[in-house]
Amino acid sequence: MRKLLDFLINRRNWFLFLFLELISFTLIYRNNAYQQSIMLSTANVVAANVVSAGGSVTSYLSLRDKNKELIERNGQLEIEILRLQRRIETMATDTMRFQAYAGDSAIRFPFATEVAKVVNNSVSYLANYITIDKGSADGIEPDMGVVSERGVAGIVSTTVSEHYAVVIPVLNPKFRLSCKVLGSGYFGSMSWDGRDVQYAKLDELPRHVEFQVGDTIVTSAFSAIFPEGIMMGTVSSFEKQRDDNYYSLTVKLATDFTRLNTVMVIKNYHKNELKRIELEARGND
Amino acid sequence: MINTARGILYFVALILLQVLVLNNIHFLRMVTPLLYVYFIIKLPVGYTSIRVTFLSFLAGITVDMLSNTSGMHAAACTLAGFVRPQIIRLFIREDLADNIAPSFRSFGSGGFVRFVVVFVMLHHFSLFLIESLTLFDLPFLAIRALAGVATTSILIFIIEAFQKNSRRSDDQY
Repeated sequence: MRKLLDFLINRRNWFLFLFLELISFTLIYRNNAYQQSIMLSTANVVAANVVSAGGSVTSYLSLRDKNKELIERNGQLEIEILRLQRRIETMATDTMRFQAYAGDSAIRFPFATEVAKVVNNSVSYLANYITIDKGSADGIEPDMGVVSERGVAGIVSTTVSEHYAVVIPVLNPKFRLSCKVLGSGYFGSMSWDGRDVQYAKLDELPRHVEFQVGDTIVTSAFSAIFPEGIMMGTVSSFEKQRDDNYYSLTVKLATDFTRLNTVMVIKNYHKNELKRIELEARGND
Repeated sequence: MINTARGILYFVALILLQVLVLNNIHFLRMVTPLLYVYFIIKLPVGYTSIRVTFLSFLAGITVDMLSNTSGMHAAACTLAGFVRPQIIRLFIREDLADNIAPSFRSFGSGGFVRFVVVFVMLHHFSLFLIESLTLFDLPFLAIRALAGVATTSILIFIIEAFQKNSRRSDDQY
C-alpha cells in the first residue's frame, strides 16, 4: 500500500500532465462538434472586452481605405436608386401596371441588416473565427448571414452571448454555402481548403456550365441565410474533378479577411417559415 | 518573489501582445509568430515539473480563450511544458541555481539557442498536428510549422539579446 502511494506521489506530474491534456482534448473535441462553449470563447464578456480594446485601436488604422470603399459603394447605390426611380416613373405612366408593381404595403421586405464591428478576427488557423460586437440583445441569432462591404464574410455560429457573437467565416472548414456563377442558374458548394486566405473552392459545379476566368460568383437562392446574388468572389482558375462530371473552381474571395473591421449581419424574417415548411415537407414524405 | 512578479508580468504582457498584435500578423499569408511561449521558456530552471506543466496549461488556455481556438494551444503548451525539464537536462549538463531563468548568459549562447529551437519546435509541431487533425496536408503543414518555428525563435533571440545588453550588471541574467 505504501509503495503504491509512493508510486502515485512520485508520478504525480504525469497524472497532472495527462489530466490537463485530457481537458484540452475534450475542449478541442467539443469545439469540432460545432458547439463551442460561450465561456471559453471570445463571446465571453471578459475576453470580448480584452479583444475589443485592441480592435478599437486597429479600426482607426484603416479608416482611409474604409472611407474610399464606402464612397465607392455609395456611388453604386446612388446609381441603383436613379435606375429604380426611372423604372418607377415609366411604370407610373401606366397606372394599372404600377399598382400591380407596388403591391401590398403590409408585406415587408424579408431581409434587414444590422451593422456590427469586428472585435476579434483570426486568419492564421485552419479553422478561423470572427467575433462581432452584436449579440442576442440586438436580435442576432445563430445561422444569420454576415457580409462585409465587399461581399460574403460568414455565418453566425451557435455561440451567441448577450452582446457578442462568434461568426464562422468563409475561412473555416465548417463553412459551406451554395453559390452560382452570375447569370447562370447552376450552383455549386463553396468551401475553404485551409491554404490561402484569398482563395476558396467552389465544388460540384456541373461540367456543362459555361464560364470564364474572371466571372463573378454570387450566392444562390437556395439558402435562407443570404439573399440571392450577394458577391462572393471571382473565378481565378478551374479544374475537372476526378469523376469528370463536375468542375472545381478556385475563387478569389471578394472579402479581404486580413483587414475586416465592419460587417453587416443579415436577418431574414422568413427564415423560420422557410425552415418550418421544409421540415413539414420532409415529414410528409 | 522577484521570479513570481516577473512571471506574472511576462504572462500578462506576452499574452496581450500575442492576442492583440501578433495574432493579426500573417506574414506571407502563412506565418503567425507565437511569441507567448517565451513565458514558458523564461520560467526559472528550479520550478518543479508540476508547476511548469500547470503554468504552461494556464498560458495555453488563456490564449485559446482569447483567440477562439479552444484547447489547441492548451494541449500543445501542456506537452511542451511537461518535457521542458528534460530538454534543459539534455542540453545543459552543469547544475544551475534554482532561481535562474534560461538566457544566453546562464545557458551559454549555443545551449540557449538549441534549447529554444527544440522547445519551440516541439510546441509548434504539436500545435499544427492537433490543428490539422481534420484537414491533413502534410507538406503544407511542415512548411507552416517550420516557418513558424523560425519566426518565433528569431523573435525570442532578439528580445533576449536586448535583455542581455540592458541588464549586464544583474547577476540573474
